[in-house]
Amino acid sequence: MMQRKLSVILENKPGALARIVGLFHQRGYNIESLHVDPVKDVENYKDIEELLNITLKENEVSRLIITTTVSDTLLRQILRQINKLIDVLIAQEESK
Amino acid sequence: MKLPGNDILIQSLINEGVEYIFGYPGGAALHIYDAIFNQNEIEHILVRHEQGATHAADGYARATGKPGVVLVTSGPGATNAITGIATAFMDSIPMVVLSGQVATHLIGTDAFQETDMIGISRPIVKHSFTVESADKISEVIKQAFFIATSGRPGPVVIDIPKDTTAPDKLFDFVLPESTNIRSYNPPVEPEIKQIKRAVDAIIDAEKPVIYAGGGSINSNASEELIELNKILNFPVTNTLMGLGVYPAEDIRFMGMLGMHGTYQSNMAMHNADLIIAIGARFDDRITNTPDLFAPHAKIIHFDVDQSSISKIIEANIAITGQVKNSLKVLIDELNKKTNMIEHTKIKPWLTQIDEWTDQHGLNHELYKENSDTSSILPQAVVQHVYQITNGEAYVTSDVGQHQMFAAQYYHFNKPRRWINSGGLGTMGFGLPAAMGVKFAFPNDEVVCITGEGSIQMCIQELSTCKQYNLPIKIININNEALGMVKQWQDMNYGGRHSESTYQSSLPDFVELVESYGHKAFKVEKNSDLKSTLEKAFSIRDELVFVDVYVDPEEHVYPMLVAPNGSLKDMWLSKDKKV
Repeated sequence: MMQRKLSVILENKPGALARIVGLFHQRGYNIESLHVDPVKDVENYKDIEELLNITLKENEVSRLIITTTVSDTLLRQILRQINKLIDVLIAQEESK
Repeated sequence: MKLPGNDILIQSLINEGVEYIFGYPGGAALHIYDAIFNQNEIEHILVRHEQGATHAADGYARATGKPGVVLVTSGPGATNAITGIATAFMDSIPMVVLSGQVATHLIGTDAFQETDMIGISRPIVKHSFTVESADKISEVIKQAFFIATSGRPGPVVIDIPKDTTAPDKLFDFVLPESTNIRSYNPPVEPEIKQIKRAVDAIIDAEKPVIYAGGGSINSNASEELIELNKILNFPVTNTLMGLGVYPAEDIRFMGMLGMHGTYQSNMAMHNADLIIAIGARFDDRITNTPDLFAPHAKIIHFDVDQSSISKIIEANIAITGQVKNSLKVLIDELNKKTNMIEHTKIKPWLTQIDEWTDQHGLNHELYKENSDTSSILPQAVVQHVYQITNGEAYVTSDVGQHQMFAAQYYHFNKPRRWINSGGLGTMGFGLPAAMGVKFAFPNDEVVCITGEGSIQMCIQELSTCKQYNLPIKIININNEALGMVKQWQDMNYGGRHSESTYQSSLPDFVELVESYGHKAFKVEKNSDLKSTLEKAFSIRDELVFVDVYVDPEEHVYPMLVAPNGSLKDMWLSKDKKV
């Protein structure tokens, strides 16, 4: 078990954040900290634009940072569950 | 073309090919109901309780593969639909639920019949939408149907504030041709590299088992599965949700596995060296204690939902994609290597499985008993129904012992014929689900195998059956107790029957059903069973309810030993454990 930082890019839509927070509770995962902001500096997200073959506009998506303490197996499961949410563009572990 | 929101909604539903809406009107949905009144293309079915609407839509969806559509009002209409939405969610059934909502300016004010439907339904939907304005309706409907039916299917809720369907404001109506959601791209085709690894594992296997679940039905992969096993000749087991995807009468079919699975299926899974999981999710009714599950098996897992793979049991070879497509690719790859498949290699394994079947397989000839010195066995009731319907009926069930007996003793040879609430285990599902099936297939036999506990949870739908003249057959396996609860109390709680009997308070079901305007018969003796069931099934144009009093002491076996047991640890009778 170790502390992980997850980064989630999601559509900036009403209810999208609640789905992620709800998922943590529903699946019995713990959130230690959470920070969310609309993405303004889209030029810093070129890698994601390339990976998903999309173009981002200012304030169109939000970036969510969650810290949680989990095992490798559970981390994989959490990321898969978050990625399954319809409004989520990508969820990944923040590279250290 | 300019239309008001309520007409835009209905036109959008027509465009999706919707035939039936199962629903119940109320204040916040009245604009929508007015638009339904003014058209002939969609038939609205008025149920007697919103739970019935969701289960009926669900039954329609399971039998046809098309999404079921539900319309309810706000507040209690929406909350009553919750159990049915959760039922569909757990079994990955495509469904679109339209819920009325108070007008936008009233949201958050605790208005009359206001409830936060999006919030309440969030954990049990694949996705949900709130309609922001009438000009967004057609796009929302398009997206909702796309999400509900693609990838791993599931229910989608659309909450519709009353003002967005007002008849007095007109909007441009353009039907979207298609839709694209950039954040939603469910996998379709498998990775060829993984398929090749699977082929190698299959060629090496000496003790293989194919374990196919509900996902293989959702993906319409029955033909591919049968074709695959023409090449392999591997033993096959199905989950409760997968019954019918592989023909039950095929020589390689071992029956259901898991909590009440057959001895041979559970033993084969436990002793296998290769498990090919196809659209199955290793839930706790299947694995028993996960740490003790199939200790020698390599696992190949086919699923459309990546989060189902390696969730409970780590897969050695993960194949993400629509299982229909994945199986096609697997078949192609296997066909290139037919010279390497040695059928003799699995011969000892097939012989071992035959021995297990001979030792402790189910007795499928209990129906031959017609002496009145013994009580009617619930298993024999299902066997008679199977015989009379030639195994071709659509069978819905509720939840409990009767459900397990139906799964064990009705042999399903085709997918989408066995309609039951597997994941959530919802009592009350059977009758409304049978209604949905009957609307879809009016000329086919539709049987609801239920119990006196479950049927009372949605019995009001007998009235709906009268209104729409639905000649369903209802077989009430009546043991005058909550049988499965009682069985667990017998096995694990020293026989203390806490709140599992009704103390002579059951209704006279024959009189009750007749008061709804249907036919009903009561059976209490073995010697009357066959003839009464035959009489019931000979009546083609009326709903017939057969109330069969069965041995109240009967248990469902095999039964896995839990907790801390593996798949090989089973009760085979009240006093025999292996």
